[in-house]
Amino acid sequence: MQRIKIALTKGRTEEQVVPLLEQAGINCEGIRHKGRRLIFDEDPRYEIILVKGPDVLTYLNNGSVQIGIVGSDILSEQENFQYAMLDLDVGKCRFVLASTKDFNPQVHRRKIIATKYPNITKRYFQGIGEDVEIIKIEGSVELAPLIGLADAIVDIVETGNTLKENNLQIFAKLQQVNTKVVVNRLALRQYQPQIKELIANLQTTNQQVVQKKSTKE
Amino acid sequence: MRWNHDFKASSKTEYQFSGTFFIEMEVTMMKNKNLPSGTRDEFGSEAEIKETIENKLFKTFRQRGFRKLTTPVLEYSDVFQPLNAENYRSYQLLDDQGESLVLRPDLTLPVARVMSTTGIELPVKWYYGGDVFRVKKQLSGGYNQLTQAGIEIVGYKGIKADWECLEIALTGCQKMAIDDVTIELSHAKFVDTLIDQLALPKPTKDSIKTALFEKNLSKYDQLLRPLEKTAFGHFLSEWPWLFGSFDEVMTALETLPEVEVLQPIINDLQATKQFIKGLFPKVNVTLDLSIPSPQTYYTGMAFRGFTEKSAGYLFSGGRYDDLLTNFQNVKTAAVGVAFDVDALVERTPVSPSQPKTLVFFDTDQWDEAEKALKTIPNSTLCLTSSLDAAKKLAAGTNSRLIDLTESR
Repeated sequence: MQRIKIALTKGRTEEQVVPLLEQAGINCEGIRHKGRRLIFDEDPRYEIILVKGPDVLTYLNNGSVQIGIVGSDILSEQENFQYAMLDLDVGKCRFVLASTKDFNPQVHRRKIIATKYPNITKRYFQGIGEDVEIIKIEGSVELAPLIGLADAIVDIVETGNTLKENNLQIFAKLQQVNTKVVVNRLALRQYQPQIKELIANLQTTNQQVVQKKSTKE
Repeated sequence: MRWNHDFKASSKTEYQFSGTFFIEMEVTMMKNKNLPSGTRDEFGSEAEIKETIENKLFKTFRQRGFRKLTTPVLEYSDVFQPLNAENYRSYQLLDDQGESLVLRPDLTLPVARVMSTTGIELPVKWYYGGDVFRVKKQLSGGYNQLTQAGIEIVGYKGIKADWECLEIALTGCQKMAIDDVTIELSHAKFVDTLIDQLALPKPTKDSIKTALFEKNLSKYDQLLRPLEKTAFGHFLSEWPWLFGSFDEVMTALETLPEVEVLQPIINDLQATKQFIKGLFPKVNVTLDLSIPSPQTYYTGMAFRGFTEKSAGYLFSGGRYDDLLTNFQNVKTAAVGVAFDVDALVERTPVSPSQPKTLVFFDTDQWDEAEKALKTIPNSTLCLTSSLDAAKKLAAGTNSRLIDLTESR
């Protein structure tokens, strides 16, 4: 049988997902001790490549990999059309609208919003019937309202600590973010048995993790 | 041949040609050396293979009594209004009246426009070929100009018309020496007909349908929980996986309580599978009963072909009796199939080019040169002024040189 190629988002997603993959019976020894390697073929059934989040869909859409594991923030920002088949119980966080405490969301003028996610921001404000000026920045988005670049920001928060430390507060909660298993539409047909097996294993693993969490609580 | 551009701070560019010599020239901001994102030039073998493939397909269509229909590249954007805009973003421009025009993103709807406005008598069989334009994400490596070749059979209601499309699709692949085709059958009405049977409020039905189509298993499983214990429970839990081997999908259908309205759909699919297996025993026939209709105007069977190696579909088609309803009130039976010519080109190996023969001659030997050209295979006129230049060219291009001036 032909190997399935999986593009895994490197960094935090990789750290959170590798234990799940291992629990689902995939050999991730190579990733555990990766050094500078980017391709891992320790498991005879899978070839895992590590790429940056926004590149996962580029590889997937091109058919270069069959499966991608990536945050729903990126899928949503890039307007994904492949099959987002499974939510993994890791990397949960949320988009919020945040600013300094003197920000008035009701003020009658065209607000300036800084974000790394212009499409999500645009869709949110369109949804509430408001037109805003969006400024795209690449990192440390919290700075924007503090320095006077923007009235508010749209960004992802997990614990809210970064916001607090920068004296910012949440004004609206937007969509939730989690990690998803995405499958190329044609690949699902070309590699149906293998992908079904992988998805079923991950589903079981994921349920076990959820159950464990709920019994702890 | 590869040109490497190295933009330097000095606003000068070095062009490297075959790695041997350099020319320096001023960089201007003009875009006269760039292609718009998503486009490409085709030359040499690639362009020739494409032409050969198109001609083979056109010949097949014509031999079966299809007539050619050519529509313009530019159309009013309203023509394509039935298309799912998410899949087909088009290039837009305005005409001199301020009307919105598009570069056609599809070749089937223009056929419908022709049929509804010209009063052509039915039934009719058309074939067409040409480029469609679909704007893909910038810098994603996708091409925006795609070549298609296909047929439309208009005015025949029965399954025979569907089968002629399948016959043509599979014969086409055979002629391209593609012998590992998988053909996937589906039906535009299956999902809706089945969902109608469920005792659920409409919004829930719609959510189930969306989750099913997106294969969003996490959401689908959640929506299904209240139905687990019903007669449909077992079938529904397997529904997102209801594709693949024809016989296995049909077996899975047996777990479904009897739904009379589904029977004609199932019968058509069964008969079609028998038809394909009878004529093309090597073709792998699969079935997908979990996907949406390819476009809103599809009304019956749909099908697409792929191989294990291909990154996209080789052909796709189906029955769309609602196709013309965007243009007129009367329904007209229509079924068609289109090949993705670029996908066929990609699959065709480039055969190593044969060494050429150069025919060198004096200007007053033109007749003789023409005769040589006709008799020597793979030859071309050598248009250099001197024999020395001809020899150099032959050596440089690894060609044989025939010198007609020698015998003078």
